[in-house]
Amino acid sequence: MLTYIIRRLLGMIPMLIAISIFTFLMMHLAPGNAIDAMINPRIKDLAQVQKTLEAQNGLNLPLPVQYLHWLWNVLHGNFGFSFSQHQPVSSLLGPAIENTLILAILAEILILIIGIPIGIMQARRPYSRLDYSTSIVSFVFFSVPYFIFAIFLMYVFAIHWPIFPAQNAVGTGPNSGSLIDHIYHALLPAISIALTSNTVYSRYTRGSMLDVSRQDYVRTARAKGLQEGQVFRKHVFRNAMVPIVTQFGFDIGGLIGGAVILEGLFTYQGMGLLTINAVSQRDYPVIMATTLLIAIGVLIGNLVADIMYAIVDPRVQYN
Amino acid sequence: MMSVNTQAVTNRSTAGARLSKSPTRLAVERFMKNKMAIASVVVLLIIVVLCFGAPLFTHWSPTIQDLANTDSPPSALHWLGTDDNGTDYWARDLYGGRVDLMIGFFDMVIVMLISIILGGLAGYYGGWVDSVIMRVVDFMFNFPFLLLVIVLQSILNNTSVPLLILIIGFTAWPAPTRMIRGLFMTLREAEYVTAARISGAGAWRIILRHMLPASLGPIVVNSTLLMAGMVGAEAALTLIGFGVKPPTASWGAVLNSSMDYFTLSTEPYAWVPPALFITLTILCINFIGDGLRDAFDPSFEK
Repeated sequence: MLTYIIRRLLGMIPMLIAISIFTFLMMHLAPGNAIDAMINPRIKDLAQVQKTLEAQNGLNLPLPVQYLHWLWNVLHGNFGFSFSQHQPVSSLLGPAIENTLILAILAEILILIIGIPIGIMQARRPYSRLDYSTSIVSFVFFSVPYFIFAIFLMYVFAIHWPIFPAQNAVGTGPNSGSLIDHIYHALLPAISIALTSNTVYSRYTRGSMLDVSRQDYVRTARAKGLQEGQVFRKHVFRNAMVPIVTQFGFDIGGLIGGAVILEGLFTYQGMGLLTINAVSQRDYPVIMATTLLIAIGVLIGNLVADIMYAIVDPRVQYN
Repeated sequence: MMSVNTQAVTNRSTAGARLSKSPTRLAVERFMKNKMAIASVVVLLIIVVLCFGAPLFTHWSPTIQDLANTDSPPSALHWLGTDDNGTDYWARDLYGGRVDLMIGFFDMVIVMLISIILGGLAGYYGGWVDSVIMRVVDFMFNFPFLLLVIVLQSILNNTSVPLLILIIGFTAWPAPTRMIRGLFMTLREAEYVTAARISGAGAWRIILRHMLPASLGPIVVNSTLLMAGMVGAEAALTLIGFGVKPPTASWGAVLNSSMDYFTLSTEPYAWVPPALFITLTILCINFIGDGLRDAFDPSFEK
């Protein structure tokens, strides 16, 4: 197992390099640069000052050299300086990552709490009226875009009955910044994600449990005289969870960057909102940092999915 | 169980009649029997007619400002009221729908074209062609779709709808490409493909004339689902201020202009209709896709 994990980690390196080159080139192609943003265009000898500043900051060097400089800085945790927020990008990233992780984990917990029991319920009585009706409801919920749920929830629970905050990731007052405060602010966006995404899990659980319940060892368990509940708990459910665990890993990666729209809608200060604000202010160092980190987050999420799959399914041989 | 038995009996008794029908004909017949899908087709058609026949249903243009009646509630003059600039909400909903439906349709076409070409090549040739294309797909999967669209828009300085369609189209292809590659990889081993290859057919002829028709079912189903996704993507992007730029109307743009406390709490006639339009459109397209899936693949039959 350890050799497998190490091999996978080494295998990530070319992809990480590709991601960093792509991000670097993308921002290099973008109009304008840091110098234009920093100096006053009415200054005397504009061209001369520009040239001096470019030389000082190494912007006149060949592109590969500039890339290596940038990579060297990034590897030392230096993502440059944000034009619009006037502080180092690295100091903006910390709280944003924290907020995004809180939202992602909360949403994932809700998705599992709603999705898996529905799937189990459907698989216990497949093709029954209950199965059909819940399936149709799931399908409708899956089709409604999550931002429509978000607007609706915002209207009902933040405006009509002001129970939850409609904006921000932390509030003001004595509890500001505590974990409870964070969860309280992340709850509405998390519910909006969970209402649509739980369907993925209920369908997976249903399908997977139906597959497993047709296996020979389940029939053997029944033939041994085990109670139906025990057969489901010990034999069907545990084996049916194997594909779910993989999906879970992918989701964690996806949610890190996937909640961009909800973060924008709720002005929830995570990685998504940081990127959105940076894009509208053309704050390229911030965009580079968030794009890079989100892509790495997805990559790690996929790795975690594979490793978890190897752990829960002993049949999988990875050598 | 019961239905399967009767199915088998009818199959046997009408075997002669059944055999004479083409698979496409059978698929159409199965689709027509799906009530949800047919209802969805009707609702979607109504939405399409409302949007593309917009001048028939409103006298207002989506950009003209009625400065005497800004921010007015629904009235005989403005059926759904007006926004702060005095533009008519009903007109913006109808004309805006055109933009959403067009983005959905054209992006579906662009994405499916790219996916069929790349997925077809990867699935047909395998080997290094497959590894190169699939590495690019894997690479693209590391960037969340909507995030990449937002960043690309800022770099390309985008303000027009056609450029937005292109940006979305060139960002959304990895998932369907992987799907089509999978289809073609299994088809490559089919006997009739081998037969075609032995009789001297070229790669493109085999891909387009033999493998593509055989995988039409899954491709059509995925195209409809993709179209629903693209309509949602437009609305999501425009909702947070990217995507379609003002003064162009779109469902997402109407929602975006209603996202302040005052409008959200006191003017539901501003944001409920576009939200309903978006939801209904996506729901109908998904139900149609579901109906098509059942029609093309009877093994899914319940």
